[in-house]
Amino acid sequence: METLVQFLEKNSIYIVLIIVLIVWFGIYFFIYGLDKKVKKIEEKLEK
Amino acid sequence: MKSILRITVFVLITLVLILSIVPPIVETPKNFFEFPLIPGLEDKAKIIFFHVPTAWLTVIAYLIAMLYGIRFLKTKDIYNDMKSVSSAALGIVFCFLATLTGSVWAKFTWGSFWHWDPRETSIFILLLIYGAYFALRSALDNEEKRARLSAIYSILAFLTTPFFIFIMPRLMIGLHPGALEIDPTTGQVKASSNPVIKFEMAENMRVVFFLSLTAFTLLFFWLWNLSYRVLRLKYKLQTEMQES
Repeated sequence: METLVQFLEKNSIYIVLIIVLIVWFGIYFFIYGLDKKVKKIEEKLEK
Repeated sequence: MKSILRITVFVLITLVLILSIVPPIVETPKNFFEFPLIPGLEDKAKIIFFHVPTAWLTVIAYLIAMLYGIRFLKTKDIYNDMKSVSSAALGIVFCFLATLTGSVWAKFTWGSFWHWDPRETSIFILLLIYGAYFALRSALDNEEKRARLSAIYSILAFLTTPFFIFIMPRLMIGLHPGALEIDPTTGQVKASSNPVIKFEMAENMRVVFFLSLTAFTLLFFWLWNLSYRVLRLKYKLQTEMQES
């Protein structure tokens, strides 16, 4: 863990990468949630 | 029209990702594809292209939630309530992302993930306020009543947003760009000297920054539209099933 922090401090572009990934995960999980809602609607329609 | 939006979002986000990551940080930029070095920040300066848009979308989303809340109160049209709630949901997602991205950056710039800096405290309170909005909604079964109460709550909640995002963190001493600082030589409190907040960014960084704001705003409108349509479908299906 200590070495990882040191590595990131020296190569701060990877911190930017982590931040971009966090934003992407947030958007991904929002879309995932929407997908689940659509699935529920589809299941209801099938019935 | 909608396909234009989708294509623009794709092109702009791709462009922002490339233009923000690729340019090297150098001490004296000589051409357009180099960003100037900010001492102590280095590549971390590039966070501005992703962290600030998320905070910006939080405000936009909460504003839209309030506007459609007001609209609902005027028209009593349930679809306005759906627009309002889908915007507030996106607002909370982006508020959370702004907190997380800021916290990771703080670890490497300020030393730890969380400090209770005025900016961190204010966004935390904002998260709680909108968390309560969804708690309120889930506590009410009656559709009409839920829409009415949450519309009123969204107005009250948005009134606090400019205070927590724009005013409070600038009135207090803190570490976040824009906060008041203590002058190291005189020991007196002075206005922020951070180059970021005065928009004294390098010309090319400013272009990427505003490109990023535009890209994320368009992305927001797309996601908002999608989640509203899902809610509307669900509602229509429910009412049709009840009728038949």
